[in-house]
Amino acid sequence: MFTQPLDVLLIFTITTPVIGWVAYKKANRKIQGIYAALGLSVTAYFLYELYKEVAEKGVVLIVGQLPFSPPLGACLKIDMLSVFMAFLFTIAGLFAVVYSIRYMEHDTGLTEYYTLLLGMIAGMTGVVFAGDFFTLFVFWELMCLTSYALVAFRKQRWEAIEAGFKYLIMSAAGSATILLAMSFLYGMTGTVNFAGLAARLNNATPDGWLYVTLTLIIVGFGIKAAIVPFHTWLPDAHSAAPSPISAVLSGVMVPTGAYALIRILILVFGSMQSVWQITLAVFAVFTMFGGNIMALWQNDLKRLLAFSTIAQMGYIIFGLSMASLSGLTGGLFHIMNHAIMKGLLFLCAGSFIHQVKTQDLKKLRGIRKTMPMTSMFFTIGAIAISAIPPLNGFWSEWMIVTAGLEAEMILFSALMLANMIISVIYYVRVIRIIILEKPTAVSKKATEAPASMLIPTFILAALCIIIGVYPGPFITMASQAAKAALEVQRYISLML
Amino acid sequence: MKIDWVRVAGLTTVVLVVLVFSMLIVRYGFPAFEYAGPSAELIETETTAIGPEVSRFLWTYRLIDLIAQAFVLFAAAACCVAVLRVEEKK
Amino acid sequence: MIPLVYYLAGAIALYVIGMYCLASKRNMIRLVIGVEILMNAAHLTFIVFSAYRTVGYIDPLGHAIVIMSIVFAGCITGVALTIVTYAYRHYGTLDVRKLRRLRG
Repeated sequence: MFTQPLDVLLIFTITTPVIGWVAYKKANRKIQGIYAALGLSVTAYFLYELYKEVAEKGVVLIVGQLPFSPPLGACLKIDMLSVFMAFLFTIAGLFAVVYSIRYMEHDTGLTEYYTLLLGMIAGMTGVVFAGDFFTLFVFWELMCLTSYALVAFRKQRWEAIEAGFKYLIMSAAGSATILLAMSFLYGMTGTVNFAGLAARLNNATPDGWLYVTLTLIIVGFGIKAAIVPFHTWLPDAHSAAPSPISAVLSGVMVPTGAYALIRILILVFGSMQSVWQITLAVFAVFTMFGGNIMALWQNDLKRLLAFSTIAQMGYIIFGLSMASLSGLTGGLFHIMNHAIMKGLLFLCAGSFIHQVKTQDLKKLRGIRKTMPMTSMFFTIGAIAISAIPPLNGFWSEWMIVTAGLEAEMILFSALMLANMIISVIYYVRVIRIIILEKPTAVSKKATEAPASMLIPTFILAALCIIIGVYPGPFITMASQAAKAALEVQRYISLML
Repeated sequence: MKIDWVRVAGLTTVVLVVLVFSMLIVRYGFPAFEYAGPSAELIETETTAIGPEVSRFLWTYRLIDLIAQAFVLFAAAACCVAVLRVEEKK
Repeated sequence: MIPLVYYLAGAIALYVIGMYCLASKRNMIRLVIGVEILMNAAHLTFIVFSAYRTVGYIDPLGHAIVIMSIVFAGCITGVALTIVTYAYRHYGTLDVRKLRRLRG
């Protein structure tokens, strides 16, 4: 059908309701979670096989049956960048599923939860594997639809419904904008295939209509990638969703928007590169400032982490906007680090919420006394994300700053350094509240999180430290992916 | 009758924007299919029945999208079931 | 035949009307209709380009994309209306300006 990892994910999505029925008959609520974790592990294995195939062949291509399909037919086009991102999605999903087995034990509708979560990861994998704009749109809709229902999952609380509705309206408007941009590209070239569009438009003279299409693409994908004027859905949605879903949304779904944006801009709008580089860099600076400054006065832990996600997306988009090898490597490495760090922070926040039933920072004071291990992992995550040297956040953010200096965007790099300092301020505030203050009545009643919730956070914290101390192999992976993203001519020649 | 000035301002802005865009588009035109090559699959409107021909195109060239769309429909049904599920009363 | 640009002007007008509807309407169901209008603007553009590629012929790619995209618009509307149902149960009103408890 499609490639093996995508096939496995989709088959597990379809069969989870059957397992849910089995779980209902046996009155055991953990079977669906274990089945979903099994599915993600099998996907990770097939992804490793696919990685070996792509590393040796260069690019893997799936088309329909006819030999001359590509300009008109749907296709999947898998290169190193796709495998890199798909691997991140699978790992993040696996940690979220293992964590949810215990976290969601008191919720109803667990069958639908795991079905939708596997569907969301399948949609994201399809987005990065797509070689045709409409195929990307189909999998994009799969990812978006499942995420609307997952944000509104705890529907008996008003926050989830309010956040879910706002998110749905803004994200659906973004999808419609992407569709309109696709229609203009079809009108200009007669095809919606990326290689076809790249071959025809990459050297075109910039025309008024190309600028209009560029604007629509940046707006449409920017709504999902949390660029600042369009970010208003993010804090509500991430704080109202269940914590493992917040970890997956924040860590991998928002960067999928950035991936789609940069893929299309490099392939199709190559002739206007100077225009979109400056535009994206300016938006990135606004995003960094917006996220960091709003995070300074949040009292709700998950809302603070959501604003921090907006700021980190600013760094990622700044790195990706440079479209040079070092800029893209820094941006992609930061996507990987951010998925690990933000996943760790959201899962630890979820542990606090599960044990103490509150998200308010004022009530979570001094929780280190009663939940020592979770607090320690949270501290490791917070230190990593504020770019303090021996941990992984420092390497990727430093790479983006030096790439900016190389690309002569000195003012933007200076602003990014200022933002890194602001983010240290609010993360130090959170660490101080959790570690150094006296426990309140609420935090004294907490007990340590159960083992199946501690293990994913432990592994993520260990990964933070390992990548921080020994970043070499990971930087190599990110730079292979970046090189694959920039080779436009090879992409075109392998397809047409 | 009380006139809501914000609403009037919004409506006039929209009408002006639509008029300006329409005039710009009609004046400058659209580079329709400027970069296109010849297409292998064009269907004549007068002599053939369009329905079966478009359907044949869909199933041969766009097979991957159709199968993925089936999964999207399944996921949409799962979304509706998830949001409309019944909570057990404790 | 009517020149292509008039149809395009109509589609852009639909897009602007859809955005205005999202920005200014209070009733939640009207916001869902606004999203539908936005997607229909894109569908109209696809069909127009498919018809004008060569006069007397149609290009089936545009038609194929629209057939599939109408389904997605329907799915989004379905999920949106279930969320609106629950919003009505929580807030007792369909006014989106009352959904302002999450601030800051």
